[in-house]
Amino acid sequence: MATEIREAEQNASVSDSDSGQSDFIETNEIPGKSSNTLLVANDSFEDLSYAELNNTIVASPMGTINSLVKKKAKRSLSLPEREHVEDTVSESEVDDSEVETSEICDDSQVDMIEARVTELSLQETTSQTADAQIPHLMTNTDTDYVNSPEWKRQKKHIFILSESGKPIYSRHGNEDKLVTIMGVMQALVSFVADSNKDTLRSIVAGDHKFVFMTRDHLTFVGVTRGKESTQQMFLQLTYMYNQVISILTHSTLTRIFKQHRNYDLRRPLSGAEKFFDNLLNLMDVEPGLLLTSVRCLPLDSNVRDIVSQTIAQHAKVKDLVFALIIAQNQLVAVVRMKKYYLHPMDLHLILNLINASESFKAAESWTPICLPKFDAAGFLQAHVSYLDEECQTCLLLLSVDIEAFYTLSECKAKIQERLIKYNALAAINNSLKRNSYSIQQCSISDLRHFLYKSRSTAQYTSPELEAPYNTKEEKERLFGLYYYLHDRIHTSGRTLKILFHVGAYETLLGWVTTGFELYAVFGPLVTKMSAIHAVNKLLRWIKKEEDRLFILSSVTF
Amino acid sequence: MASRKKVLLKVIILGDSGVGKTSLMNQYVAKKFSNQYKATIGADFLTKEVMVDDRLVTMQIWDTAGQERFQSLGVAFYRGADGCVLVFDVTMPNTFRSLDSWRDEFLIQASPRDPENFPFVVIGNKIDLENRAVSARRAQGWCHSKGDIPYFETSAKEAINVEQAFQAVAKNAMAQESDVELCSDFPDPIKLKDDQAKPRENCAC
Repeated sequence: MATEIREAEQNASVSDSDSGQSDFIETNEIPGKSSNTLLVANDSFEDLSYAELNNTIVASPMGTINSLVKKKAKRSLSLPEREHVEDTVSESEVDDSEVETSEICDDSQVDMIEARVTELSLQETTSQTADAQIPHLMTNTDTDYVNSPEWKRQKKHIFILSESGKPIYSRHGNEDKLVTIMGVMQALVSFVADSNKDTLRSIVAGDHKFVFMTRDHLTFVGVTRGKESTQQMFLQLTYMYNQVISILTHSTLTRIFKQHRNYDLRRPLSGAEKFFDNLLNLMDVEPGLLLTSVRCLPLDSNVRDIVSQTIAQHAKVKDLVFALIIAQNQLVAVVRMKKYYLHPMDLHLILNLINASESFKAAESWTPICLPKFDAAGFLQAHVSYLDEECQTCLLLLSVDIEAFYTLSECKAKIQERLIKYNALAAINNSLKRNSYSIQQCSISDLRHFLYKSRSTAQYTSPELEAPYNTKEEKERLFGLYYYLHDRIHTSGRTLKILFHVGAYETLLGWVTTGFELYAVFGPLVTKMSAIHAVNKLLRWIKKEEDRLFILSSVTF
Repeated sequence: MASRKKVLLKVIILGDSGVGKTSLMNQYVAKKFSNQYKATIGADFLTKEVMVDDRLVTMQIWDTAGQERFQSLGVAFYRGADGCVLVFDVTMPNTFRSLDSWRDEFLIQASPRDPENFPFVVIGNKIDLENRAVSARRAQGWCHSKGDIPYFETSAKEAINVEQAFQAVAKNAMAQESDVELCSDFPDPIKLKDDQAKPRENCAC
């Protein structure tokens, strides 16, 4: 399947058009637009620049290696195929490999980088060669595990390691068994950092993309053979970093490594693996993380108003910063303290906290959580409770007062009582049972699925996944299409407004304006004109439904 | 609490080229020895699990290049090491004399918190050879002068004392490690300031 798609994309006619803009806009009204925002909405994907992350590293005169692309290099730096382990890499094979740097630098620099990368990759092969010559020289479990087909078959690996090369987390497999490979990763990162005063960002080898991110004494490594671009992987690693901060706070993390560079961070993070696992699973199915926006539970605006007003009235306590209701990863309502805004990336950490913990269902809980975009230096205290018997609707009260549990518990009881009385809880449950909405409701022929993000509110909406996207493989493929479309539009340095892409199985239309981002998936035979007509119709439909699909008003305490 | 079962130690091996660093590591980890000499380029990594005082310890062993032209990794090696093995060849006095500079280099690059008590171990390797040129007494004298570094005489070829030397590193590194408990003081609570979060402005993190 994968190869067919690739061919199809090569043959596909892709038109990038700026001039078509005027044909597009039929309405000046942007669906889901609100000046009364409750989420921080000024971040765009492009803002997530590499530069801000590397301010500790002195920029070198030779520029940065944006990506080292090793083509034809049969020996990838990790995950080598079994057959490849047996043969030895000769000098000529290394010569075959092309190293491309995306920034302009003269040949000698390229040669130097090439030589050094080759040196490193040679190093790997040396140990493998030894392996072949002296059978069972390295019979330690480590090497065996990394070479196991099960481990190699994983589509996406995520690793977290410390600056000293000590393992902290691995998505697949026990990090204890990956001590050797983590050492190699740290060696690669440090090599580029120390000898070139530069930053290793990514390596492409065959089907695999390796993306590296170093922040606060930690190295995050993502390895994928999926459709994610380097920058999209980078965003995912940023979410992982935020998750670490969320558990430890930035101040504790930096203090630990300032005092003990050899510290084993698995200790304070023990028990937190489920949050990393869950966050990564969420990223594979939830487009909100890619779009740095959240999805709201569709709800009549008067019901939503009742919910927000109830919270605002009955949780008016000192030091309570945010109060929110969440149901099945969707936002029902947010009430905030004046002057404070919730960032969508922080909100995803909250969603992940709720999603990954079963224990909140048992009792009212009081848990510290750091929201890195809000304040990376300290913890907020979260009062977490479910409002219904089925444990679907979750209330979070986030305070800076560590003693506030009992006060907030009283607030919760009042809110719950009122929401039951006003039938609001029942309305939430009904909406959850209705499963969002079907694409049929938009009544646009040939439109199969879409993501619509309102930029001013950092919220997005999309219909249920229906046939043909109802199997795991097809869902994954659809997600891959969105990754592709999103990346084509947002590639840094060359952002597009509109992209019309004809693939083998579907036609894609991406359209980004200052007000919204729309990613639409059509059947394969749709023409450009009818697709344009369709998205305009879709925008009118979303506009009509905007009160239900988005939270357009912002309630404060 | 639960995490006390997992301990990982980063141990690095230093010494002049040809003293047998890689051979020692291979003997220790895989119980194998080869007479062939192959220079280590950059670094080599091996892992071994050992029991130290009833605790399971994973040793991440960073074998370094002795030859200067292959020493490309520098700081990366030393950073955050829990223990360091200094190796010389008992038949080559110059490799013994280099120990000073290897030790200094390590302490400068790694800048451990307590350099006086950093867990080093010194290994005099190749005692199976006839032409010994550095006496045990001389080596012990040097170790004593550097704060009583444990000294082992080994043969990677004959598997003499290798296990014991590495066990000593692990044990000493563990002793340091137990001193280092995370200061569990709670981070400062967030203080809400009016100027903290202006609308539509996110913090610099």
